[in-house]
Amino acid sequence: MSDQPIPPRPDYRPGSAQPRLNRPVRERYPQIRATSGYGDPRIRHTGPGPGAGTEQEPERSSKLNARLVLALTVVVGQLWALTVAVNEWMEGNTGTAWWGAGFLILSFLVVIGLWLLDPKDR
Amino acid sequence: MSVTEQPAPAPGPEPAGDEAAERLRDRISADSLTTRRDYLRIVATVSGGLAVGGVGVAAGILHRHGDSESMPEARKVTDALAPGESVAFRFPGDEDRALAVRLPDGTLVGYSAVCTHLACAVLWREDRGADGELYCPCHEGVFDARTGEVTAGPPPRPLPRIFLTEQPDGSVWAIATARSGEPAREALCRQLGDSHPEMTRQLGCPGAGRAAANQRGRT
Ligand code: FES
Repeated sequence: MSDQPIPPRPDYRPGSAQPRLNRPVRERYPQIRATSGYGDPRIRHTGPGPGAGTEQEPERSSKLNARLVLALTVVVGQLWALTVAVNEWMEGNTGTAWWGAGFLILSFLVVIGLWLLDPKDR
Repeated sequence: MSVTEQPAPAPGPEPAGDEAAERLRDRISADSLTTRRDYLRIVATVSGGLAVGGVGVAAGILHRHGDSESMPEARKVTDALAPGESVAFRFPGDEDRALAVRLPDGTLVGYSAVCTHLACAVLWREDRGADGELYCPCHEGVFDARTGEVTAGPPPRPLPRIFLTEQPDGSVWAIATARSGEPAREALCRQLGDSHPEMTRQLGCPGAGRAAANQRGRT
């Protein structure tokens, strides 16, 4: 086994290579598949075996998670700032409301920055 | 990564290649289409929306209920108001719901009747509280009848005040307004502005010129 060269991997094709064995699923519940997630050729290394179905690139994934969590935190801060700005404006403190608007814009720039770190990552 | 960015899968060798490729695409698109990167994009869009909203609020897209920049025209509210009774009227504009109440001890108070929470109508309830209170039935908001401060419920700001006067014949007139939580003297100075210089002087407002600049800067 070890002296033989590894044969090239066949092209991935979901379902059976023989089309007649693939159930026609178009008619009913077209968005639901028993293999959802695993029928996707973009998933490169997963199961069977230990670690099947888990994250394959944890470093990249955790970076993306961190960006997402930071962005969500900033958005929560924005929601708070918006209520403060509305209250201040309603009480006639327009200057304070403008400070609130400035804070909201800065927060938006932070979120945009987090996104621009790597807009192509998935 | 969204499906549209994928290179089209190579058609299989079988004669029905196009159909197989089509089926593969269909299968891929059956997977979750919202990835974490998409979430980041959505969050960025929401954030931008909030920023635009904040600028809009500061620029004044929201209507400040029961407010007027300059001295509103005095308006007759009612011919007579007995203790414990209330009357609804419109002040300062025709759209601004307002409420005048004579408390059981004879004090005359007026407020904007637009709840500061979600703009429901505020009602005078004499049977509630020690000496009656202003009650918003929408979410059980309660305002102190004497000051307009929030005493219970979700409203975030006190009710804007309306200044009432009583004529010798018993008729009640609305003459001026104050914003939520604005001290009476500040409100009167702001509205009197430079149209009534002698009254501003009587009230001891900051100098007429400064008051006018103040008004421009604050609004
Ligand atoms: S609208 Fe008045 S309490 Fe919610």
